[in-house]
Amino acid sequence: MIRFIIPLIAVLLFFLEPIFSLFSPIDINDNLYITVPRFLIVYLIFIATYYNSKRAIIYGFVLGLLYDMYHIDIIGLYTFMYPLICYVAALVIRQIERHIVTVMVLSVVMIVLLELLSYFFASVIALTSIDFGEFFTNRLVPTMIANALFIVMFGYMFKQITEKRFFQKQAGF
Amino acid sequence: MPRFFSNKRLIILLVGVIVLVALIAFSLRDRNHANVPEQAVKDVVGFGQSLVTKPAHFVTGLIENIDTMLNTYEENKRLKERLETYAAMQAELVDVKANNVKLRGIIDKQEDLRAFEPIHSTVISRNPDQWEEKIIIDKGTTAGVDVNMAVMTAQGLIGKVILSTPFTSTVELISTENSDFRVAAMVVGEEEMFGLIEGYDRTSGQLIMKRLDSSFNVKKGMQVISSGLGGIFPKGILIGEVTEVSTDDYGLTKLAYIKPAATFSQLDHVMIAKRTMTVVDGTDGGNSADAKGDDES
Repeated sequence: MIRFIIPLIAVLLFFLEPIFSLFSPIDINDNLYITVPRFLIVYLIFIATYYNSKRAIIYGFVLGLLYDMYHIDIIGLYTFMYPLICYVAALVIRQIERHIVTVMVLSVVMIVLLELLSYFFASVIALTSIDFGEFFTNRLVPTMIANALFIVMFGYMFKQITEKRFFQKQAGF
Repeated sequence: MPRFFSNKRLIILLVGVIVLVALIAFSLRDRNHANVPEQAVKDVVGFGQSLVTKPAHFVTGLIENIDTMLNTYEENKRLKERLETYAAMQAELVDVKANNVKLRGIIDKQEDLRAFEPIHSTVISRNPDQWEEKIIIDKGTTAGVDVNMAVMTAQGLIGKVILSTPFTSTVELISTENSDFRVAAMVVGEEEMFGLIEGYDRTSGQLIMKRLDSSFNVKKGMQVISSGLGGIFPKGILIGEVTEVSTDDYGLTKLAYIKPAATFSQLDHVMIAKRTMTVVDGTDGGNSADAKGDDES
């Protein structure tokens, strides 16, 4: 049963992201703040940490490809970035303790890295013309806060599920 | 500390980067058309997406209902005041419409730029990394939606269809940074003042209307509607209200800032305007070059 739950949650998060982005941009005191939901990558980082980093990279590749084809119409951006982030996260987690708080902090750092990469690509392909300062205040910081909230709310659950699957697999199921 | 990249991994990474660049270059070349596998992916993912989105819309709808219920008293008071003028306006509108039909009959004019067939649709997702202002709706070519059609909400124009597959369509919102996105519009005053909506001012959240003749007497508070002269959009879709008028960089034409009538966040139901009159490729179409290429081949 739990065998199917792991990819199922990934697909569900993939579908939830565009719903949450319908609420963005958020208008506070006539300033528009963009929050980008990055739920899927958080979950993939938890999979990479507690379950299996190779599995996380494969999920990242497949869902990144779907993301590119469905939303962006440029194939290759998230197909590359999702597995890359999972790989870097797996490298970092090998060096540090797998405590839930450190993994949560790591997820936020990885979201920042993903946002920076995505900003880099968007400016290279000329999808956007905003300068770094505006990107930082109107996009990066609100995105960080919103996703940190998500991580705090669901991080523990992700840890439970992925860890359970890991032990199950070790027991030979 | 283990070695950061072993040889094998380095090769995989390099090949990955090369494939990535090639893929990006390949898909950037032709973004306004989806090939068959892309269409299939879009339709399948779109189906799954609408299964998740529709319950979500239902929940947000419930919350909104509760929210409006709390404001009922205030709103009722305001609406009652407006109701008195409404009846008189309604009678006048019916009279004017009847008159219009009669006059059209006299001059034997059947076609109307204003006429369009509405196609109702639900927004199923918005591009999550919001570099581009795109939403995806759950009606495609099978429902009659086609590229370049105007998309609006009850409040006003929000964008146009840029890509359609059999069961989904991608809509680019008018609040885009894309400079190819133009809408032939006009300011409604004593005379019709034509211009083009080109560009969006992100900091103030206003549309910019350019190429207004300097002799036009555009004033703050005037309403802007689509003119129908761009070839694709029907005439008369409300776009917004003029908030500021200035001259352009060269001082030759006027430039107006327009506050959009529609809001672009929390979109759920939209309407696609399928113009009944013949469609020609003009300023409203972003794909002019492509369309020309198709004609020649």
